Amino acid sequence: MALLEVKDLRIEFTTQAGDVHAVEGVSFTLEEGQALGLAGESGCGKTTTALALMRLLPYNGRIVGGSIKFHGREIVKASETMMRKIRWKDISIVFQGAMNSLNPVQRVGKQIAEPILLHEDIEEEDAMKRVGDLLELVGIPRKRSSEYPHEFSGGMRQRVMIAMALACNPRLVIADEPVTALDVMIQAQILELLERLRKELNLSMILISHDLSVIADTCDKVVIMYGGKIAEAGATNEIFTDPKHPYTQGLVAAFPDIRGQRFMPEAIPGNVPSLISPPSGCVFHPRCKFAFDRCTVAEPALTDLSPSRQAACFLFPEVQEVSARPAPTPTAK
Amino acid sequence: MIVRVRNLKVWFSQRGGLLREMVSRGSKWVRAVDGVDIDVRRGEVFCLVGESGCGKTTTGKAILRLVDVTEGDIFLEMPEEEYARYDEAVRRGSEDPEAESAARELRRKFSLTWKERRPWTMNQYLLVAFMVTVAGLGCTAGLTALLSLAASPFADIGIVYAFSFALAIAIGVVGTLPPSRPSKRTSLILGIVSFFGWFLAPIPTFYFKGLSLSAADAIGNAWGSNFFFFILAGISVPVIAAGVAQGIAVYRLRSTEYAGLDIRGLRKRLQLIFQDPYESLNPKQSVYEIVAEPLRVNRLTKSPEETAATVANALTDTGLRPPEEFMFRFPHELSGGQRQRVSIAAGLVLQPDFIVADEPVSMLDVSIRTEILQLMMDLRKSRGLTYLFITHDLSLAWILADRIAVMYLGKIVEQGTAEQVVVHPKHPYTQALISVVPSPDPRHKASRLILKGERPDPVDIPRGCRFHPRCPVAFERCGWSPSEVLDALLDLAGDGPMATPLRAAQIDSPLSFRLPPNSGEVEAWIREQKASQAEAHLALKALRGITGPPAARRVVLFGLEPVPLVEIAPENLVACLRVQPETPPAAEIAAA
Repeated sequence: MALLEVKDLRIEFTTQAGDVHAVEGVSFTLEEGQALGLAGESGCGKTTTALALMRLLPYNGRIVGGSIKFHGREIVKASETMMRKIRWKDISIVFQGAMNSLNPVQRVGKQIAEPILLHEDIEEEDAMKRVGDLLELVGIPRKRSSEYPHEFSGGMRQRVMIAMALACNPRLVIADEPVTALDVMIQAQILELLERLRKELNLSMILISHDLSVIADTCDKVVIMYGGKIAEAGATNEIFTDPKHPYTQGLVAAFPDIRGQRFMPEAIPGNVPSLISPPSGCVFHPRCKFAFDRCTVAEPALTDLSPSRQAACFLFPEVQEVSARPAPTPTAK
Repeated sequence: MIVRVRNLKVWFSQRGGLLREMVSRGSKWVRAVDGVDIDVRRGEVFCLVGESGCGKTTTGKAILRLVDVTEGDIFLEMPEEEYARYDEAVRRGSEDPEAESAARELRRKFSLTWKERRPWTMNQYLLVAFMVTVAGLGCTAGLTALLSLAASPFADIGIVYAFSFALAIAIGVVGTLPPSRPSKRTSLILGIVSFFGWFLAPIPTFYFKGLSLSAADAIGNAWGSNFFFFILAGISVPVIAAGVAQGIAVYRLRSTEYAGLDIRGLRKRLQLIFQDPYESLNPKQSVYEIVAEPLRVNRLTKSPEETAATVANALTDTGLRPPEEFMFRFPHELSGGQRQRVSIAAGLVLQPDFIVADEPVSMLDVSIRTEILQLMMDLRKSRGLTYLFITHDLSLAWILADRIAVMYLGKIVEQGTAEQVVVHPKHPYTQALISVVPSPDPRHKASRLILKGERPDPVDIPRGCRFHPRCPVAFERCGWSPSEVLDALLDLAGDGPMATPLRAAQIDSPLSFRLPPNSGEVEAWIREQKASQAEAHLALKALRGITGPPAARRVVLFGLEPVPLVEIAPENLVACLRVQPETPPAAEIAAA
């Protein structure tokens, strides 16, 4: 059984300007010990999907359809008490921007110990011992647990965040832009650390990043999102060497490659669509250079092109139209 | 050459609290940029690359003189023959006073950063006159008090007053002496301090007179006996202290001023594109106002119609077409890419020819990054712009730059054409930096050379080669200090028997440390560690030998060498002792 099974997930936000369809029918599975990359431009629904996995959506967001199964347990319909048990104990998250996610007036050791004390029946002394072990695991000297966040550099803070995510031995760690805003060298250190931890602790991981090269370096599987939908999904090697969907092709081509030829990468013209009134048909068609008449009226369904590859694009004859979606039925807040 | 930077230094003083500044010995400086030489040719894209905190942005800002330059010169469009003269004058400078004065003249004429001691301004004269008046009044009042009260039972007041007057001046002087760096706040604080000093002044006075009064009684006595003098002193003492402090502050802060090439007319030609268009545009200004502001400030257009036309032109040039549609929008109504275009338009509206682009695309999504870069390159072609492109992303530098300079801790460690730096990096830091640049092609996930630790604090820069503590190929002459070697040994000793004598070791010179007496065992152990562990702990390579009489054995280290930036091939400069002009590069170039 897969560790995590997300099926046809749909999330909406209520705003003054109207309902934002942030995530529309996202499905993927994650096996034990696997690393999955969620990639896409800002505003494509990556972080929203991740927050939904822990049911941490902000007050104006709600899951309107689909299912999330973790170890066979349904998360979309789980009670709040149940969720409190799952959060951090089973699924934990490394938030975006380590600078802002730590409490500036509390010692880091205490912050890491907090989830341990909440989830386990354990003496504070033992919890602090475990905090020391965790800090050493992520490469921070044990004695620094009594320091405040401002005494740490950006990279060190990110390590603290990782230690915190590992505090209760979770099965799945979601890393939301874990290396954005860090220097390349520190970025390499953190990615190496995540990979080492994943092997040592047999963790499953979901890595969210707008930077495809970060995902190419660390993940087994990639899901490319655009406008709240999955454009393409598959094994990392295949996706980057042979992208099928025009959006993926554009993204891969947009990256300058220091080991490749010296030329200006290609741009994807246009802007990310508004998710309040998304374009008709395929969300990508206004920016797609291969768009034809069918793209403007019908929405392509995510279809298997090969056992390890799915894409949603009419350029491939086997891709069918999306069948009508059921009307939104609010299931959880 | 459009811009030549010579030995540029930008040091920021590290501010502490008032008390700490008064007590601490010697200023602490954040050496953000510490001796950088750059030549930017007309029409090229020169990339400054480095980690955050390496001084690349500060260098860029210093060239536009947006930060105060501590030392060094920035020559703008210096004619070649004049530069040749300057170069020669500097080379002969130290012996030949004539050459030195010639160099000074040239710097004065062409350098943006030439500073001179200026004559005093009217304000400063007024301030001094005020100080003299206040001091005179204070002295008169003090003397009157002393004389008139000397025989009376209130004689104490005179002494108290004289005492507090001296105290006020002392506080004013001491509070502003180096190492403290006076600011506007300092004199206010010193005034307040001396005001309270005045309240406490009676206590030591009574003590010296041998009267055994409690502090409260002493203060009460002194005040109560003559209210008029209490008020007079209570007001004049802090004023005097603040005045003295302010005078010293003004003298110390205003003593030098930029006196070289005048930047005012040049700002039009030197422009900056900021990193984050979400932060750098004023949310309360419309696009029109943002782009028109430089025109207004520089009074470049004569009529509103002309301004409108120029703004429309700039917007069209930066791809915001039709301009009428964008002019009256506010920044929040634009996408990230459009905002950056506005930012570029505001820079270009003055028709500059040199642009410092500080990470112009790092906040933008990948898919729109290229459009902005393409725009910048198109403008370079159509307007003959020169870019100093600052980025942390080597892969961007690779596709854009004609030449690249890699910075580390305020210094350039390697410089060359894009090919030289990216394809054949010589400096170990550049090699490591290039190896960790992630690639969108997973097949390239090959040999990453991840450096340990983080960059050192620029307040406390390692001696010798700045990179040696993190360098994977450092050797004995790279600048290891005794404390680094001791740390490495302690690390190896762990909790074993060697830890105690090593902890007792004393650093007795910059190149040696003294072992505790009778440490034959430790010596043997150190020798053994050097033989077996030097590859894992590079600091051990610096161990040269153990000398001295048995009672005082000293461990001596290899000396360090300066690490100059050496031209190892045409255009290619490297600052590393391992890279010599003759041997390895030639072989590599031949291989390539």
